[in-house]
Amino acid sequence: MKILIVEDEYEMLKSIEASLLQEGYLVEKATDYSSGIEKVFLYAYDCILLDISLPGGSGMKILEEMKRTGTDGNVIIISAKNSIEDKVSGLELGADDYLTKPFHMAELHARIKAVLRRKQFDGKDVVQLENVLLDYSQRQASIEGKPLGFNRKEFDILVFFAANMNRLITREALAENVWGDHIDYADNFDFIYAQIKNIRKKLKDNNAGIKLESVYGVGYKMVINS
Amino acid sequence: MKLANHLLLYLSGIILLVIGIWSIAYFLVQMYEIHDGIDEGLINLKQEFILQANTVPGFVENMEKNNPLNIKVEKTTFDAVKNMEERAYTSNVYFETEEEEEEIRLLETAFRCHLNGKYYILKIFTSNVEDNDLIENILLSLIVLYVALAVVIAVTGKKVIHKAAHPLYSLLDKLDHFQLGNTEIIDFPKSKIEEFNILNNSIKKLLENNTETFNEQKNFIENATHELQTPIAIIIGKLEMLMNEPDTKPGQLKEIGSVLNILNKMKRLNSSLLLLSKIENKQFAQSRQIDLADVFMQILDAFKELIEHRQLRLSVHQEGTPLVNMNSDLAFIMVSNLVKNAVSHNITGGIIHICLSPNRIVISNDGKNPVQDAANNIFERYKTRSDQSQSLGLGLSLVKAVTDSYNMKISYKFDKQHIITLDINF
Repeated sequence: MKILIVEDEYEMLKSIEASLLQEGYLVEKATDYSSGIEKVFLYAYDCILLDISLPGGSGMKILEEMKRTGTDGNVIIISAKNSIEDKVSGLELGADDYLTKPFHMAELHARIKAVLRRKQFDGKDVVQLENVLLDYSQRQASIEGKPLGFNRKEFDILVFFAANMNRLITREALAENVWGDHIDYADNFDFIYAQIKNIRKKLKDNNAGIKLESVYGVGYKMVINS
Repeated sequence: MKLANHLLLYLSGIILLVIGIWSIAYFLVQMYEIHDGIDEGLINLKQEFILQANTVPGFVENMEKNNPLNIKVEKTTFDAVKNMEERAYTSNVYFETEEEEEEIRLLETAFRCHLNGKYYILKIFTSNVEDNDLIENILLSLIVLYVALAVVIAVTGKKVIHKAAHPLYSLLDKLDHFQLGNTEIIDFPKSKIEEFNILNNSIKKLLENNTETFNEQKNFIENATHELQTPIAIIIGKLEMLMNEPDTKPGQLKEIGSVLNILNKMKRLNSSLLLLSKIENKQFAQSRQIDLADVFMQILDAFKELIEHRQLRLSVHQEGTPLVNMNSDLAFIMVSNLVKNAVSHNITGGIIHICLSPNRIVISNDGKNPVQDAANNIFERYKTRSDQSQSLGLGLSLVKAVTDSYNMKISYKFDKQHIITLDINF
């Protein structure tokens, strides 16, 4: 999988790159408008992470050019501006998602996976994790055809972990994924904990090949049951 | 009291005082003039009488005998009148025909008739203007004059003051509607009156200075929060990376975890502040007709699992469709923070009741204790309750910012439950 990051903030670029490399992606970088647009049209990428404010031009213009020429790139906008207008016009210009800085790397991975999945599934939107089958269109998890009976929030949490296999998810990143922006979810950690407990129990009761591991009161990690 | 009324009342008082003093003086002068005139007539009559008495033989005797109605002649001696002085005075006489005493003006004098050498006392009188009647008349006409003056002054005065003070009132009206941070500066009316122009200019200067300072501060907050986003993002990203390094030790993980915890709080605080200033700057433009009941249902659905987890009993009572014209993102921010507030400040097994009607939304929920002195400041920033250390205290401020920008009215009270009332269309 080849991913292009168009981002002018060097440190930001580096940490995104490192995180993507950890996940096993091939990463290309561009730090301004001209090199960004050059790379977009020279090579094909599975996903493009695009910052809006770039030296030499706006990321929006790159999107416009892509739309005009019919170039498909699975673009995720990453912007410091949490602006609804930018979001709307970005999505109208063909971007697949919009992520506001600051974000958790786990969230970025989940978004990338979702974009890749949406673009590549051939008729069936499913992911197999060991013996567990996640069906995104039905929003159900099952083992050998037997539904595990996750409720909606539990399924969302499972999907988030699935996108970050073997990766430590902090409670904050998880809470933010579950609750979205603008809510003080911190006082609802006990709820997150209860959800994790339920998921664990259902996975264990059905002899699932995956489990959720606690990491020193910091967060959780989805790993393969050894 | 209105300025016009105040001025008119003041004017009326002064006029009443002036007219009062003037009328007393006028009355005294009039009385003096009248008596003077009457006395002069009496003196003329007296001189005529004495002339007749001295030239027509038997005139005095005849008069003394017959005593006509307004003349009295009495014989006297020189000794009796040698010290007497001629004087005119007011007295009362009983008139049989009128059956009452009437006031008269009387001239009393003495003379010696040359024809017979005898001394006489002469009293001549004539009817007088009655004091009481005059006072009554003057008073009546004064009252009429006063009332007429008062009415005329009130009517014209009010008109004149209104016209003259029109710039003042329009200025007041504009100031009343002025909001700091509004891009449009008040357009000040020109006036013929110098003071109003000075006032206008001073206020204009004041507002411009304030607006400038306000905008500078606003921009500073916005820029500061905005510029903080990227560094925070980088730090969080790097720390999360570090946590995923295989050779990070458990003790280090814990430390990184607590740093991340603080950073995340900072991040949320930052983005909430940014959102707050965006709402206050009215950067959420596009409005459309929104059914708030629909928004509530969606939000409640998202909170379903949390509500179940807290074992809260939720009841929604819908009496109509609360339709409002607003930005849909702001509607969601508002409703989600309201619901979140009702959920997170609740007690285990508590009740949330939501009543939706076309003009009003009432959310009541159980809670630990009444927020002291909270009726007004519960919507202020950082008014967190002490038992909620993790809460940022910005949720209800966000709600207030939204309601303010759409002229909705929100209020809080405690009556066994925490009750938040939101008036939407009024």
